[in-house]
Amino acid sequence: MLRANSANTQDFRFWALDVSDNFVYLSTFHVKEIKMMADRRRINGPPGGTRPAVFASNLQSGTSATDRAQRQRQPSELRKIFLKTGLIPTASGSSYLEFEPSASLAAARANPKSLIPPSSALKLACTVHGPKPLPRSAAFSPNLVLTTHVKYAPFAARQRKGHIRDSSERDLGVHLETALRGAIIAERWPKSGLDITITILEAEDDRWWGSAPDSHDASWGMMNVLAGCITAASAAIADAHIDCLDLVAGGVAAIVSDETTGASTGAPKLMLDTDPAEHRSILSACVVAYMPARDEITELWLKGDSSKASLENNDDRTGHEALIDGAVDAARGAHTVLAEAVRESLLRTVGQI
Amino acid sequence: MGIIILPPVVEDIIPHHDESDDSMSVDSDEDVEMSGVRAPKRARIGNQTVSTGVVTPGEVVTDDPQWMRGHGTYMTPLSTSIIATVAGTVHKTNKLLSVHPLRARYTPEIGDLVIGRIVEVQSKRWKVDVAAPLLAQLPLSAINLPGGILRRRTSSDELQIRTFFSEGDLVVAEVQSVHQDGSASLHTRSLKYGKLRNGVFLAVTGTGGSGASSSTTKGGVGDGSLRPGASSGMGGVVRSRRQVWTVNTHNGGGEVDVILGVNGYIWISKHADGAAAASSTTENVSITRMEEMVSTSIYSSQNDVIAPQTRREIARLAQCIQVLVQGGVRVDEETVMGAYEASLQVDLEVGDDEDEDEETRHEGREYLEGAKSRRILELVVQHVK
Amino acid sequence: MSNQRQASSASQVPHLSPAELSYLYTSLSLPKTPIRPDGRSPTQFRPLTAETNILPGTNGSARIGFADGTQAIVGVKAEVEKTVLSNETLARNDGGAGHEHGDQEGSAAVGGHGSWVQMSIEIPGFRDDDALPVFLSEMMRESLVGAVGTDETSDMTGGLKGRLVINKRWHWRLYIDVLLLSQPLAYPLPLLSLTTHLALLSTKLPKLKSQGEEDPFFDDDWAVAEYLYPRPSLSSGGKKSARSSFVRPPVTLLVISVGDNIIFDPNREEIAVADAVLAISITRDSEAGNLKLLSIRTVDPPSRLTPPGVPNSENVSMLGAVAPTEDVAVLNPATGEEEVPGVWRPRRGGVKRSVIAEMVKTALKKGGVGEEVLEGLEGVEVS
Repeated sequence: MLRANSANTQDFRFWALDVSDNFVYLSTFHVKEIKMMADRRRINGPPGGTRPAVFASNLQSGTSATDRAQRQRQPSELRKIFLKTGLIPTASGSSYLEFEPSASLAAARANPKSLIPPSSALKLACTVHGPKPLPRSAAFSPNLVLTTHVKYAPFAARQRKGHIRDSSERDLGVHLETALRGAIIAERWPKSGLDITITILEAEDDRWWGSAPDSHDASWGMMNVLAGCITAASAAIADAHIDCLDLVAGGVAAIVSDETTGASTGAPKLMLDTDPAEHRSILSACVVAYMPARDEITELWLKGDSSKASLENNDDRTGHEALIDGAVDAARGAHTVLAEAVRESLLRTVGQI
Repeated sequence: MGIIILPPVVEDIIPHHDESDDSMSVDSDEDVEMSGVRAPKRARIGNQTVSTGVVTPGEVVTDDPQWMRGHGTYMTPLSTSIIATVAGTVHKTNKLLSVHPLRARYTPEIGDLVIGRIVEVQSKRWKVDVAAPLLAQLPLSAINLPGGILRRRTSSDELQIRTFFSEGDLVVAEVQSVHQDGSASLHTRSLKYGKLRNGVFLAVTGTGGSGASSSTTKGGVGDGSLRPGASSGMGGVVRSRRQVWTVNTHNGGGEVDVILGVNGYIWISKHADGAAAASSTTENVSITRMEEMVSTSIYSSQNDVIAPQTRREIARLAQCIQVLVQGGVRVDEETVMGAYEASLQVDLEVGDDEDEDEETRHEGREYLEGAKSRRILELVVQHVK
Repeated sequence: MSNQRQASSASQVPHLSPAELSYLYTSLSLPKTPIRPDGRSPTQFRPLTAETNILPGTNGSARIGFADGTQAIVGVKAEVEKTVLSNETLARNDGGAGHEHGDQEGSAAVGGHGSWVQMSIEIPGFRDDDALPVFLSEMMRESLVGAVGTDETSDMTGGLKGRLVINKRWHWRLYIDVLLLSQPLAYPLPLLSLTTHLALLSTKLPKLKSQGEEDPFFDDDWAVAEYLYPRPSLSSGGKKSARSSFVRPPVTLLVISVGDNIIFDPNREEIAVADAVLAISITRDSEAGNLKLLSIRTVDPPSRLTPPGVPNSENVSMLGAVAPTEDVAVLNPATGEEEVPGVWRPRRGGVKRSVIAEMVKTALKKGGVGEEVLEGLEGVEVS
């Protein structure tokens, strides 16, 4: 019934259009969808796009196994976080967060062998505007109305991102909103709104760049980005002096199976704060937004198969429980940095007076 | 039997069949002469008589110039024939001819007891959703202010208007007047009226048919209704003598109040005895202050302590009403009480059938699904006959 | 409506009065035996009607109607598409330099790619770039492509993604279009997920006639087309064991916790008072036969945005009439907050880990809700 003789999807679609009416409905449906996603306010480039030239010499050097980023940290060792608040004067609260570059990235920077950095480190800026009055048209709200925007800078990832938010960015925004709404005390600010905008300047990779693009395509990097967003937004909210129950911190844990980690077997192991570029295969990952003071999770996002994790013998937790606990531990780590950063900025302002 | 998943394809058709049976039987209950006489009368349309029974939009109701044009009809300037504009039944009031639609949103009339939900608070009035095409208004001047019935309205009352009713609150009120555009003005100047608490809300079809199905602000219509189309039948709350009554529930549920808003919004709550409500907040109240007490508790949003048994019976009553609505049976005191008794009877029947251990029988027992609802409906229809 | 949507993207806030919310919460949090407004037991689903293969122009389709009249239709369409091999992979193939990458180079061809499954959700009253449809489709897609079968012998190695591979150069692209026919009365996730599951179960792909690396070429007899998810053959005797060895599409369950109770398939009012809302995706483990977890996402509970109730003691309109309070604030063990009984407080904070573990356990355990749901869906006749 279906016989494809054309290489191009687009052609196939129109070929199908001729055949039966039933196809027409769906193909037009997709054309409409494409239109919806295009930005009408700007002149758009050709839809296909081009690939940048890849030089064979780079490629060869890049693919050698020695250049592959490798995790140098202990399984429970977290990356250092740089976090500073109050950097953007026009906002009522702001923060800037940066993860420590991985060991291989640091080495590559010090002694560049290739044009392509082996991994990337998260950098993001968060601004908070508000609390401000809701627009006149808005309905009465007894609580603070929170809106979150997460946007990748076009240059944030290896693949250029467009100017309009795509579905993954909207998805991140929803996750972030869930995480924060549990932490802020919304009824202290009736009839007002709070806008939180996060710009991701450098995103975490979803995999090592040299791996086949399809090897593990689940967006593991997005989970690290979310954890960073949560921590940064929490700092910015504290900077804006919005009442919250606790500083909510983000943490990531993953179950990875690497030949390199378990020297003898490739048994999947639990690791905290994973950099996807450093791992061959991530089976399952989890990000939480966690409030240590109340021991509560405001946001949980877990995906992948966590049942294969090999835990300690005396550990009777199931895979996902261990994963969540791991992510909580990572969040506790981030929380100490967060608390320190908020205290520091407070002392700074006090010092000025 | 924790989950009932899917009566699949075949079942999908049977209930449809059932439903038409049901509504037919109800039809014939209510207007027996109508369905019987329909055909011959139709044939006589040309003969200068009025067609009775059901007419559809565009159908000529009569050519006879003696009739006056009422609601649901129109006339062309060139002819004397009256043409229906809505699908419904023809009604004659003296020489006035009107067509009442079988299904429409609630149209407020003076004196209706309605339940409404506050959707907007303005400076001197509330906007209330009463399932009508337009929001009703409840002016600040039309409520009993706390601290005495005869107190004058002050500017501080205007400032703290949200302490009386706020967005989302449910009120029971009476239609005081209907404006030119069909919107209603409500009042709560009686101890019977005010804010609702201690119970659950249901939105079913109101007078004249379904008002609920397109309302965006309704709480949760028909979560138990099996057939989507069913709610558009003849069922729903009808204007009747008693819209509010108290049920003496079984199974240790105590007394439960049912308020049927004419607009199809229903409130079922623990019975609030005026005096008891007052004395529950303070001990020994002098009889002169009693009225004052009651009038203030109408703005409370704090629920009393309600026993689980009472909650269970409230849930049962709510489901009984849902069953009635699905079945296209009108909702009034008689049918609701009939359905309630029937549901108890059905429970006994089922209880006899099953000899499983207590726990599994208990599981989901209170859910009146498929077979049970059909049985209840049968019993009610019998009873009402 | 529009600013409500903006305010709470993942969840709509229903208009409920504090008194209603308080009544509901107390009823639902009664220890051991919650009283749901429609009398269901905590794990009971609303009855629904289901049918499959309703759209002749699709490879697979299903319709599910929920009791409240909301209906969803899902159509699955498949197209043949050329696999884009990355330069890197090609280069490595040519040079043969990538021995250590053997598994990965093959992975594009064997493992498939998540982007081959496209999902779009249309909900009346929402734009297709609103947060709710985006969130829902991401949630359902991620469990769909994430489900990886480990059974080496079956067609379903690599799960759905692997099944879409035709050969190294060609693959199927799957379009899953979900249409909700009316504005959702409750959070539409369970409805959409169950319908998608059924549609995928009924999806057939034409039988491949070409072999190996040839350009694909299919049998045009629809009768011999193969199911995307292989069906258990009816002849096999041991029904259950045969059934469990097949990979099945995942199902996403909506679970809420109210007090100490865990409630499945909540309706609109129940969700409005939930302490925590979780979307849990599960599927059958093809090896062990029991259920495994694919993903968990928290959903923003609308209870955080509800209007608070005012205790009588603080009610300005009752001052002077009521004697000073004898209401004693009681500690709610589930939230750790002090509350006056009968007065609604919007929820704040998050959810305890033990509660999450309990929710997942109830869904996954043997003979639990997840199994019943999958069993029930399997029972739907796929014509």
